[in-house]
Amino acid sequence: MNALRIIGAFLRLNVQVALAYRSEAVVQILLNLMWLAWELTSLAIIFANTNELGGWGPAELIALLGVWRLVNTMMSIIVWPNTEKFNQGLRDGSLDYTFLQPANSQFLVSITRVELWRLWDFVIAVVLIVVGLGMSGRVATPVNIATFLALTVSGAAVLYSLWIVMIAVTFWFTRFDNNVTILAALMDAGRFPAQVYPFWLRLLITFIIPVAVATTVPLQGLRGELAWWEIAGFLALGVAAVLLSSRLWKAGVRRYSGASS
Amino acid sequence: MARPASPAFGANGTPPIVVEELSKTYKVTDREGGFGAAVRSFFKRKFKDVRAVQRVSFQIGQGEIVGFLGPNGAGKTTTLKMLSGLLYPTSGSAQVLGYTPWERQAGYLRSMTLVMGQRNRLAWDVPAADSFLLNKAIYRISDDEYKRSFQELDDLLELGPIIRKPVRNLSLGERMKCELAASLLHRPSVLFLDEPTIGLDVGAQSRIRAFLKEYNRRNGATIILTSHYMADVVALCERVIIIHHGELRYDGGLSELSRRIAPYKIISVHLGGCDDCALESYGVVLPGEDETGKKRLQVPADQVPAITARLLAEQPVQDLTIEDPPIEDVIERAFNEPLRN
Repeated sequence: MNALRIIGAFLRLNVQVALAYRSEAVVQILLNLMWLAWELTSLAIIFANTNELGGWGPAELIALLGVWRLVNTMMSIIVWPNTEKFNQGLRDGSLDYTFLQPANSQFLVSITRVELWRLWDFVIAVVLIVVGLGMSGRVATPVNIATFLALTVSGAAVLYSLWIVMIAVTFWFTRFDNNVTILAALMDAGRFPAQVYPFWLRLLITFIIPVAVATTVPLQGLRGELAWWEIAGFLALGVAAVLLSSRLWKAGVRRYSGASS
Repeated sequence: MARPASPAFGANGTPPIVVEELSKTYKVTDREGGFGAAVRSFFKRKFKDVRAVQRVSFQIGQGEIVGFLGPNGAGKTTTLKMLSGLLYPTSGSAQVLGYTPWERQAGYLRSMTLVMGQRNRLAWDVPAADSFLLNKAIYRISDDEYKRSFQELDDLLELGPIIRKPVRNLSLGERMKCELAASLLHRPSVLFLDEPTIGLDVGAQSRIRAFLKEYNRRNGATIILTSHYMADVVALCERVIIIHHGELRYDGGLSELSRRIAPYKIISVHLGGCDDCALESYGVVLPGEDETGKKRLQVPADQVPAITARLLAEQPVQDLTIEDPPIEDVIERAFNEPLRN
């Protein structure tokens, strides 16, 4: 209950920041539309030469682009801005105050900054998913849709946990400007279905930096391609990731407290 | 361990802050300068222990304002960080309001505050008023409490219109007022202030001092303050704790410190028609004159009456004043001379 109140207070704060930087919001939205045009153009180029990619047709890839953008939107609303804030806090010491507030510090570093105007990207993502599915002629059953939503949430939780792990690891090392570079780099791999990549890269993006878990997997759920035990497995992975990352975070905070001066 | 029923007031008479043998040792990499040393250190790292705080013990009573003094690197900030719960000590113990600080229990965090003059806790791009509301949510301050608290801080600090300007547009003094207000909205009963007046102009410094004094008077808050401005210490602290190289050097009254460490007074005399009278026989002649052309003599405190009488009898004295040695000198001496109480 109090968590909601804190989220509300942070949101109000961030709405004001967003309003203070209106022109930046407009520029970002325009840039985002240009990226969308580029992504769709590159899909058009690919499918001018072939009918399918790793067993996926053009309509399905548009839907996948939508799911990928859904996850990316979460990253750009919360993860990237808070990474910047976190690294800045480590540098100038303002992170000290975060640890002295009577609220969960992982929660606080996750929601300090929210890029609200990015919410608009959600709309684009949902449109892409709906259009892609419509073009493919598939009809998603309510069960498929529920599976998709659950797997998207759990996939997002896995990526979020991975982020927590990466910034928590910063507590053990003094260099911190590149703590999330690998996560950012591999996010791009999620634009295409995991099946198109060579085996080693597929392993990497499914298990090590599990971008595919948040993109390909939910879409497979939407298309009804996953067995129940696979669904259960991926959901369990989400829960496990959240629990493990919060333990590592706590250890990191203890380490920070031991080392800073 | 049993906690006092009402920790804020230290039931059964326990002082709010009890520190015993507190120590903190940092491990830092140790290498010489230069390229070769850098390469060697890459393969074989040498570590060195830095003893930032060594077996420091003290107690601070309800409502006391204590000045925590020492040169840069003496261990002041490290001690404050341990007491606020940010750092784990290497050894020793501390109880603040009945809590062990570094366990960081919510109850503890809600009843104390740490203010660091060089750090910024307010959101940069929005007015301070919005950061206040955030703290209201985090510290679970009820609407009524918030209103009362804010009103009081507004009265004392004259926040007025400054809380509606984006923080980045505030002057340093205005920002510090807002930082203090944000740190005190939850009415902490223990305050750790690490150089709260640093960088402020003289007027702003004295306003912050007046505020702290009044906050302490109204709320009975216990305050530990570090500052390099002796005016802060003289205005606020009857008691000072001096640490140097991580060790406690002195713990006691500020005036007592003067008497013990610098048992002398300064006699300033203005002599008519005698530019080079031999004043050496009266005491140590301090170099330079003050702006009015007075000569300054340092004399043992217990001989002041006798020496003054001699001066008046033997020299063409036009004006004479007797003063305590400047507090900066006393503190400076206390840092450098071995001293235990």
